Amino acid sequence: MDAFLLGAGQILTAETLIFMLLGSIAGIIAAAIPGFTVTMAIVLTLPLTFAMEPLQGIAVMLSVYVGGYTGGLISAALLGIPGTPSAVATTFDAFPMSRNGEPGRALSIGVWASFFGTVISTAVLIVAAPPLAIFAVKLGPWEYFSLIVFALTIVASLVGHSLQRGLIAALIGLAISTVGTDPILGRPRFDFDVTMLAAGLPFLVVLIGIFAISQLASEVEDAGKIRSGQKLVTGEIDFKTLSVMKEVLMRPVNLIRSSIVGVLIGALPGAGGSIANLVAYDQAKRASKTPEKFGTGTTDGVVASEAGNSATAGGGLIPLIALGIPGSAVDAILMASLMVHGISVGPRLIMDNADLVYGMFIAMVVASFMMLVVCVLSMRAFLRVAEVPKWVVVPVVLVCCVVGSFALNNRVTDLYLLGFIGLFGYALRALDYPLAPLVLGVILGPIAETNLRRALMTNDDWTLFLTRPVSLIFLIAAVASVAWAVRAHLKSAKAKKTAERTAP
Amino acid sequence: MSEETPQLTGKEPGEVARLLSYIALLAASAGLFWEATRIPSSRFETLGAGAFPMIVHGCLILLLLVTIAQTLRRLPAGAYAAFGAAFGTWVRERRLVFVVFLCLGAYLAAMPVIGYPIATLVFLAVLQFALAPKTKSAMAVLIVLSLLFSFGLNWLFAEVFNVFLPRG
Repeated sequence: MDAFLLGAGQILTAETLIFMLLGSIAGIIAAAIPGFTVTMAIVLTLPLTFAMEPLQGIAVMLSVYVGGYTGGLISAALLGIPGTPSAVATTFDAFPMSRNGEPGRALSIGVWASFFGTVISTAVLIVAAPPLAIFAVKLGPWEYFSLIVFALTIVASLVGHSLQRGLIAALIGLAISTVGTDPILGRPRFDFDVTMLAAGLPFLVVLIGIFAISQLASEVEDAGKIRSGQKLVTGEIDFKTLSVMKEVLMRPVNLIRSSIVGVLIGALPGAGGSIANLVAYDQAKRASKTPEKFGTGTTDGVVASEAGNSATAGGGLIPLIALGIPGSAVDAILMASLMVHGISVGPRLIMDNADLVYGMFIAMVVASFMMLVVCVLSMRAFLRVAEVPKWVVVPVVLVCCVVGSFALNNRVTDLYLLGFIGLFGYALRALDYPLAPLVLGVILGPIAETNLRRALMTNDDWTLFLTRPVSLIFLIAAVASVAWAVRAHLKSAKAKKTAERTAP
Repeated sequence: MSEETPQLTGKEPGEVARLLSYIALLAASAGLFWEATRIPSSRFETLGAGAFPMIVHGCLILLLLVTIAQTLRRLPAGAYAAFGAAFGTWVRERRLVFVVFLCLGAYLAAMPVIGYPIATLVFLAVLQFALAPKTKSAMAVLIVLSLLFSFGLNWLFAEVFNVFLPRG
């Protein structure tokens, strides 16, 4: 209790709260700009925290982290471009909702879902950190590979109009992930002696090219409308704070399920928000009584994605606090920040620095409240983005995408890749290929390959994938998931045919 | 295949375009599969660096072959002529998309040579001019935004974040 009060005392000072507020604003703004990620915002914040007390520095970075997970939803909802990789699934329903004339409601649902997702994940973090962390690190490459196989079955929910084109897109994504040096031995693959390809195709550049560039290009398809100064989104600029809060709270099952998905995926080293939002969306769609409404602007879709990605913030801290293993790039930077202050991170962290750990828990809760306050107060300003004409938004956001792609690795070749991938993404969009399975393939490809090869390097017995209990559970879940998806597709195809026959 | 006389529904040009994309992807995937078979295996592991790409491209080739066969069976005879006619209209309607990609290509190619601020200034001015309604207020906004996001953003990144955008 003393440690808890000591931690609370350090967080709840005016100075720390002001710094956290600034961090929250910075995180939201950075993540709202397509091309800039939460990781990038945290990296830029790190040097600014060196002069602070350890807990104060960590609290500021956590507020950037929590704000960043919410900021991604702004461009996802208003521009149809995920501001961060963790907001990919948010575009599926928040953007159609904005296009249907409810941009304020789309943002408000996302903000509330993010808030509850963070709070639930913090509660789980406090209660379940040690047992969950021990479970997470016990998973071997067999379990990881089986988990990725299960995650790949999400493709079935993201295929759009055609199952075949969805699968083709997912395989293209997996193929893209194999370009460059191989992840185990560093052997060059498919670079054809072109320098640009030698380092592989960076995930963020692929994401920006596929989603952002193609979306922006498609915004100018109607020459007449754009030259008349058409706005990006037309509709009600109303945040409806309290009524939307009730709307989100009326979906407790979706909210809690998506948050738990986020926590579990966040706790697994290597996974993170970019996978959690898609898995949470998939689970919400499968559990829904009206899955056909997903993708048209349904509240459940936005809630699932935003609660799922925000909950990874708490989940990612589980292995970091309990075992000293960072679950994602952001957690690695948080860990580095603690080490800069001379605090050794590992299983003894909670015993040696209990005040710091409790302070981090309190900082997470405070950061989520700050994010909520900042969003509620400033969302009207963000919503003004929707009123800006397309002829302004398209060129300016293109420049932001270019800057974000370059700032990632400071490589000019990434810019050329961005151009090619953008053109490829637009071609796929024009040909009605779903883009989300492709991005999922790019995310999961390296994890799948690494763990498959690592498993067989450790023991070349293929049956281990079936004889290890956790691996078997994931594989059974994958088979069940595919069977469920095929059944749903056959059912909807049959219903469509019946409707066509009975139509006058 | 339908036994009745096939009638065009207006969706055929899109189907033909997709068929062409399947064929292009099949050619690329087959080439990469062959390339993957040439990646030497390792004595240290069972699979080697080429195995995973071969699995992926193998699946992709199979799926594309099935999809191509299904599409060919579905397409009526007049679909190819309809595609030829519709393609020209499609390109004309999307002329601004091509303007955007042309400007972006030139911008990305010029940036390492002339530097971020000037390349961005020109890119924003040209593209906004191409897309904007030709009014005085629009031109004023165009100039301000071009300056802000070229020299302004360059200053912000260099001075605040210590990230240096291409200087040319």
